[in-house]
Amino acid sequence: MSRKPYHREVSKTTWFLKQSRYQHYMLHEISSVFVAIYVGVLIVGLFRLAQGPEAWSGWLAAVTSPIGVIFHILVFIFSIIHTTSWFKAVPQAMRIQRGEEIVPGNLIIGAHYGVWAVVSVVVLLVAGVA
Amino acid sequence: MSERQIELEVLRYRPEMDDKPFFQTYSVPCQEEWVVLDALNYVKDEMDRTLSYRWSCHMFVCGSCGMAINGEPKLACKAFLRDYQTKIRIEPLSNFPIERDLVIVQDDFIEKLESVKPYIIPKQEKPIDQGEYLQTPAQLKAYKQYSMCINCLLCYSACPQYALEEKFIGPAALALAHRYNMDSRDVGRSAREHVVASHDGIWACSFVGACSQVCPKDVDPAGAIQQVKFTSAVDYLTSFLPGGKR
Ligand code: SF4
Repeated sequence: MSRKPYHREVSKTTWFLKQSRYQHYMLHEISSVFVAIYVGVLIVGLFRLAQGPEAWSGWLAAVTSPIGVIFHILVFIFSIIHTTSWFKAVPQAMRIQRGEEIVPGNLIIGAHYGVWAVVSVVVLLVAGVA
Repeated sequence: MSERQIELEVLRYRPEMDDKPFFQTYSVPCQEEWVVLDALNYVKDEMDRTLSYRWSCHMFVCGSCGMAINGEPKLACKAFLRDYQTKIRIEPLSNFPIERDLVIVQDDFIEKLESVKPYIIPKQEKPIDQGEYLQTPAQLKAYKQYSMCINCLLCYSACPQYALEEKFIGPAALALAHRYNMDSRDVGRSAREHVVASHDGIWACSFVGACSQVCPKDVDPAGAIQQVKFTSAVDYLTSFLPGGKR
């Protein structure tokens, strides 16, 4: 008897709406856009600084304006999402074997949070905030 | 033993008479400790002999009874009825063509699995009378997790990348390639490289991670793929160094 397999179509544009784990993935991916935009903003700031005090204070005024503050809060939230979701995935990509044992994932994740905290404190100290 | 009436909504497709699949509901008297596979077996034995599905071992070893249960890829032998409401929707694994009822066409996976040479390629074949290839417990540990794969295809069914790009070699086949690459008795990494480290191999994976979440054997194919990405990237970069392949 001849075969007649039935093919089910998958939408190329709305596939991620189907499952919550796909939505989490999308959120994680989209968060990187905010991180990238912020890197752009900082680079512009650096250029402004090089152009002299006037250009610099203009940039400073823009980022501290109400819209600038809202933007910062948004970027902060997405950066947290981005960082925590990556940290969660690290043990999968970074499998460390010591003798006959695999180093527990929580230890690797914990170490990442530790380094994150230390780097944040150092940055705050250097910036003179803390 | 208590009994519970369960409504099984099963996607049916009989290629000789149907143009497209449709849901058929069976009201099944189920025992409390049953799994979905038991309920399907009841339908097959007592209600409708025309229903087709794959199964064999009933104990998460053969990997045959993968299906979408309430939309989630599961082994029917590992899906306990006590974890479900009275209505359960059962469909063939998504991302695969339907051969008949809950039976999917697996040809694509089988070809991909073959393409990664899923067997030990030793440095030198030795005759049986020279004994086994010895391995320490630590060497075994390096790949054991990836050798637990039972080819159930739940991971392919969960993978949106495979759904959108059917050329993608996919989670289980790549995890199995990693399994052999990590085996101290094997020297076949470069023989697998052109498939594994290709555009349709590891680099087509965007690390959604759904494969590892649905895997019934904790193989973690997503992790395996990311690890291979790392070694493959190191290979690429070191190839530019003096004495490299480039
Ligand atoms: S990796 Fe896991 S989900 Fe995928 S085929 Fe193997 S056992 Fe099944």
